[in-house]
Amino acid sequence: MMEIQLIINDINYKVDIDVNMRLIDLLRDKLGLTGTKEGCGEGECGACTIIMDGESVNSCLVMAFQANGSNIITIEGLENNGELDPIQRAYMEEGSVQCGFCIPGLIISTKALLDKHPNPTREEIREGMSGNLCRCTGYNKAIDAAQKAIEYLKEGQNDFKNSW
Amino acid sequence: MTLKTVGKSIIRVDAYSKVTGKALYPQDIYLDDMLYAKTLRSKVPHANIKIDTREAERQEGVVRIFTHKDVPLNEHGVVLKDHNVFAADKVRQIGAPIAFVVGESEEACINGMNKIKVEYEELPGVFDPLEAMKEGSPKVHGQSNIIYHYKLRCGDIEEGFKNCVAIAENTYTTHMQDHAFLQPEAGISYMEEDGTLVVAVATQYPHYDREEIARTLKLEEEKVKVINTNVGGAFGAREDITIQIHLALAALTLNRPVKVVFGREESFQAHSKRHPMVMKYKTGADKDGYLQAMEAEIVGDSGAYCSWAMNVLRKAGVHATGPYHIPNVKVDSYAVYTNNPFTGAMRGFGATQIPNAAEQQMDILAEKLGISPFEIRQKNIFKTGSKTATGQVLLESVPLDRCLEELVKRYDEFLKLKNVVDETIEEGVL
Repeated sequence: MMEIQLIINDINYKVDIDVNMRLIDLLRDKLGLTGTKEGCGEGECGACTIIMDGESVNSCLVMAFQANGSNIITIEGLENNGELDPIQRAYMEEGSVQCGFCIPGLIISTKALLDKHPNPTREEIREGMSGNLCRCTGYNKAIDAAQKAIEYLKEGQNDFKNSW
Repeated sequence: MTLKTVGKSIIRVDAYSKVTGKALYPQDIYLDDMLYAKTLRSKVPHANIKIDTREAERQEGVVRIFTHKDVPLNEHGVVLKDHNVFAADKVRQIGAPIAFVVGESEEACINGMNKIKVEYEELPGVFDPLEAMKEGSPKVHGQSNIIYHYKLRCGDIEEGFKNCVAIAENTYTTHMQDHAFLQPEAGISYMEEDGTLVVAVATQYPHYDREEIARTLKLEEEKVKVINTNVGGAFGAREDITIQIHLALAALTLNRPVKVVFGREESFQAHSKRHPMVMKYKTGADKDGYLQAMEAEIVGDSGAYCSWAMNVLRKAGVHATGPYHIPNVKVDSYAVYTNNPFTGAMRGFGATQIPNAAEQQMDILAEKLGISPFEIRQKNIFKTGSKTATGQVLLESVPLDRCLEELVKRYDEFLKLKNVVDETIEEGVL
């Protein structure tokens, strides 16, 4: 057992962890942040993607102790007071969601990309999402969503109230 | 008429819960006082087995190990009841479930699983469906490996082939394929206060699951509730039972919630695959390019269990001609047991494999006749009013000829592009 401190979605956590615990297990089993999904457990599918200190990482390949002192964003951190992130809104509107299991990872990858490069080309978006597998919809609609999100972010539109 | 919904872009009802990560899949459900479980699976494709769980039961944190002895009726399956809930004295494929280890933690379950002794007395296996059809082959279940034979007879192929100037004859094979849905199998079971047994899983058939749980555990169906959570992809692979009965048995016996989550590798081992097919085809066309006869023998590898074998091989047989009018047709399709991983439903359900054969036959015939691949298709493709080899008259919505017209236009553009690419490759640029 060891104690680590980290920030997840702007909240400070001080938690006891087992040394052999993966970051995804800390998020899901210990902190109840089950929006981060595990599809393969070996860094192939990207369903467990989170942002750690500004970089998108597979949380199944990071040990929990390695996250000590880090700043993490998960899918739960995107919605703000019932207001969706423009990326989430775009994914809904573009019909990018079917079974949904890949979606948290895809949205986080999109966010990691747009946080760094606000105006990527379609090719750059493809590259940015290349670590995420989807088996239902395929990738075009997710890329469409990313392009729509870029427009929303440019226009400063962030008023998509939760009416669901 | 003004339509309220058709033609409009509607945001799907579950999109919000999925883009926010709030949607619950079975692995996302955690209950107080819950136990975990792991499934011990066969490591060999065909063997008599003996199981000894005594040492495993003594491992710290292991609560109970379930085997075939605990199941009142040890058989299930969507069509034939040829699956065992747990292998009893014989395993027929790698991955067949042998025991379900329930413990206080996943680690305890794994420790327990590693201490189960399985004695395998290996038997000769059969892995080629054509071999499996032969009389002397090892038998997977019963006296014959042939599960199903579908016959389609239309006209007289001997007469039909007499009128042909071009004949294509070839054998085509397709491979096994996994659905690889993104959410590996997971589930949780528990007892409600009034004695109702609840199993929460991601499934394509909650009603079948309920019936199978009740039948195998000898419960009244009214006492069993199957909750379908969000389903992380399925594509046919969640039609057969995987964890449902194991979970039900454990919660019923232990009166505590029990959770199981598969990793990717176990997911591959546990569920069905797409049927590999061997398709022996002979197709003939007359001097004007009209198809006159087709003969096909299609063999589908069902693996160790039937699942939807007859439905899939029937569909393959029904679609054997592809979308073409042929007056004389003889098709025999077979579903065959082997000791390979079992196969079942997967997108297309037997119709997907067929174009690999039927379309290549069209291309070969076109080449032999000296006409374009489009011309042979335009001449023979189903149109409104066409009669299929099974006798169905297609009365509406058959826009295949229009589809072909569009393709012809774009094919020329494609060829131009292809020439540029080919030249570039030749120049060594790519």
